[in-house]
Amino acid sequence: MSEALQAMGSVVLDPYLIGLIFITTVLGVIIGVLPGLGATTGAALLLPFTLTMEPVHAITVLATIYVSATFAGSITAILINTPGTAAAAATTFDGYPLAQRGEAGRALGVAVVASTIGGIFSVLVLCVAAPMLARVAYEFRPPEYFALTLFGLSMLASISAGGAVKNLIGGIFGVWLATIGAEKTTSIERFMFGNYELYEGLSFVPVMIGLFAMSELLVQSKLANKVVETVAMQAVKLPTKEDYKRIWKTILRSCGIGTFIGVLPAEGATVASMIGYSEARRWSKNKDEFGKGSIEGIAGAESANNAATGGAMVPTMVLGIPGSGTTAIILVGLMVHGLRPGPYLFTEQVGTVYQIFGAMLLANIMFLGMGLYAAKFFARISLVPMSILWPVVFALSVIGAYALSSSLLDVWIVLIFGVIGFFARRHGFAVAPIAVGLILGEMVETNLQNSLKMFEGEWWQIAMQPLAALFLVLAVLGLCGPMLFRLITGKKG
Amino acid sequence: MSPRHYIVPAIIAVCSVAVILVALQLDESPPMIVGESMQPRAWPIFLMVINLILVAVLVLQLRKNTPDTVSLEPFATWGSMALMILFYALTTWVDMFVGIAVVMFGMSLLWGGRIWVSALTAILTPLLVFLLFDLVLQIRFPRGLLTNWYYG
Repeated sequence: MSEALQAMGSVVLDPYLIGLIFITTVLGVIIGVLPGLGATTGAALLLPFTLTMEPVHAITVLATIYVSATFAGSITAILINTPGTAAAAATTFDGYPLAQRGEAGRALGVAVVASTIGGIFSVLVLCVAAPMLARVAYEFRPPEYFALTLFGLSMLASISAGGAVKNLIGGIFGVWLATIGAEKTTSIERFMFGNYELYEGLSFVPVMIGLFAMSELLVQSKLANKVVETVAMQAVKLPTKEDYKRIWKTILRSCGIGTFIGVLPAEGATVASMIGYSEARRWSKNKDEFGKGSIEGIAGAESANNAATGGAMVPTMVLGIPGSGTTAIILVGLMVHGLRPGPYLFTEQVGTVYQIFGAMLLANIMFLGMGLYAAKFFARISLVPMSILWPVVFALSVIGAYALSSSLLDVWIVLIFGVIGFFARRHGFAVAPIAVGLILGEMVETNLQNSLKMFEGEWWQIAMQPLAALFLVLAVLGLCGPMLFRLITGKKG
Repeated sequence: MSPRHYIVPAIIAVCSVAVILVALQLDESPPMIVGESMQPRAWPIFLMVINLILVAVLVLQLRKNTPDTVSLEPFATWGSMALMILFYALTTWVDMFVGIAVVMFGMSLLWGGRIWVSALTAILTPLLVFLLFDLVLQIRFPRGLLTNWYYG
């Protein structure tokens, strides 16, 4: 415990790390305010730049981008009615109407404070819950890991974008992508078609850059000539005593909701903010104000989406199962830098892990300052012409992908997955399930193989293990839960 | 529901069947290595069978709730994709950075940028990113017209 606290404390004594967090927070806020870019795309683009860094610095960069970009989406959501990130979509419902009434500063003040509290709360939960979960995870054997991974994949059914069936098809496509290359135990080549650069399998990073950054570029091209209208703003105002009285319960509730949703495998800030918003409305005494400029609505959505960031890091670091699209990138970052995600990370790399947690905490405090004093400046950045922004994203994507292993194949993979991602999204398939499936693919197959070896081919023995059985039941509930709920409550659709 | 709505499920189904057929051609591993576990071909086949079941469910859903027709994207979208093909050609036969600059310039113009701004962006961005990767991150880029001149 003392080692953990020491590691967290060391962040504020390391000028290099503080400088890095500051610069990355600024970058994260810029990425967050640029419509379409978002935390996931930003992290995917920056991953190649972290290659030469120390592991702790590299993951700090990615985690800081995650928390600061998630917050910054609210700036454009309030000022130009365009959420910088999907997680800030719920903030537009009340943020923009409040801004139109001439209270943009107040709306931003509430968003900044709610985001900061949500972010800090979730990092504290992460610090406490992650080691506890890691202790439980030490007991996991292949059957438990197999069942847990199935549970993670089943949760894809409830990712916000796309329908359940489409998300599952995307997830299975991702799991299949993970079979490309030489099979690990037998070295039999699968789906390589004679290309020996694929022997080790598809590299995660180019696939991520393609799915998130390049496909977003093609999606954004539809909006190339969109005219953006901004709302005038004087200065960001901290919430008044009356405001705090109205929103403190909402913030606390959303902190809990956001962290819980974040911890669930494959769920993320977008789902959290929607639920945080609807729960804020449900419990509010002023329901009529919602949609017309309610500060409770802003607080509910913003504290929930930032609370989800810390929550999503729990399964990512402890179990190696990404809690969201951005944590999928962070997970890849951990692997690229030789840090094996899983319970052993908490015994072998305690210092590194808690330094990352400390950095996330500091990033939350830094964006509070930036949100209060520089929101107006950042809002202007969102007006950068798309005809400049997205060609730059193209250049960063292809050069970054090449830099990973000096292979042109990685560049072609970016382009191919960019086009695949674009067509998938065009037809209502979200790309996050593909990314999560790719990451979990090897884990699920290897653990199934090892379980079968363990039980001498008697596959049903997997369901006889208590913990594995629990995860399998949760997986079935994850798949059939929404349908059962509709059947029980008699709702249609 | 128009037949057009079945195109996507049909493509997924055909791809799934193709994967199964390719998987069936994969080598088998000797029993002493695989033991009581599964053959390398079994997993992808299992995945694709599940995929086919999901496609069937998707078709049923589509029959129940007909989705809106997807409108055709503007020229900027298809033009950007065409530029990506041009990038492949330029990188393979001329130089990666020539490819990046040409694509950036074309893309910027397609998206409504002014000529001089597009040109400046297309020249400065690859140059700065190249210098960052070459001097700071020490990455060597593939040989081509410009890199041959730079590396000597």
